[in-house]
Amino acid sequence: MNRSLVILLGVLALGAVIFTGAYFAGQRAGELARPADELSWLRDEFHLGDADMQRVRQLHEGYLPKCAEMCAKIAAKKAELQAALGDGTNLTAEAQQKLTELGELRAQCQAQMLRHFIEVSQAMPPEEGRRYLEEMKNLTLGFHVEMEQTMSNSMGQMHGHE
Amino acid sequence: MKQENLNPDDAKLRALLQTSRVSAPLPPRFQENVWRRIEDAEAPAKSESWLDVLTAFLLRPKFAVATVAALMLAGALLGTNAGAHLAKQDAQVRYLAAVAPNSLR
Repeated sequence: MNRSLVILLGVLALGAVIFTGAYFAGQRAGELARPADELSWLRDEFHLGDADMQRVRQLHEGYLPKCAEMCAKIAAKKAELQAALGDGTNLTAEAQQKLTELGELRAQCQAQMLRHFIEVSQAMPPEEGRRYLEEMKNLTLGFHVEMEQTMSNSMGQMHGHE
Repeated sequence: MKQENLNPDDAKLRALLQTSRVSAPLPPRFQENVWRRIEDAEAPAKSESWLDVLTAFLLRPKFAVATVAALMLAGALLGTNAGAHLAKQDAQVRYLAAVAPNSLR
């Protein structure tokens, strides 16, 4: 093999090793700067000051027990639904009733969550509050919009109209 | 001290000098080698391939040090940026997990 080619390949390999090593070291350093507080994302992303953060924290701490209570209700209702479904192959009236109740609970939970987001957005500077509310709606309800969009698209294709 | 007669016209001295000449034998293929060296010297220099030129350039100490420094700097900057991005994503996920249960999303 040509000596120059061997040297060139060695130089390229060494350069790749140096770059990769520096990249991972930098990435590790960047990750180490991760704050422990779960509200840190709000502070950084929406440029909140200490006073804003204090209001947001109060709202957050007030909301968490309500959210946990609702989660527990949903989990219990899911267990009831599971029991009603059992091993059967038919959807019984009881199982259908549980499904409806689970849906209602989810809707209540979502409404409570949205109310919380609105309150938090009002505790922020107006422009940041609007952005926060928009982003939270996208992040928490966006999946359903996407799923429903996909469903209506596929239904449209199945029925042969746009 | 004894003085010797060093006159070059001296016949005896001239005869003595002629007999004392040493004629060493030439190495084998001397003439051929001489001509070959003359031809090599007169021939145009062989041009190096682009690979040789590139390798020689890369191995210059100043260039090598600058390249290593640039690679380390670029790697560290890109890595820090990626790490900060990951940390931000992680913080967002933790906030969402706290306020919006997965069962609702």
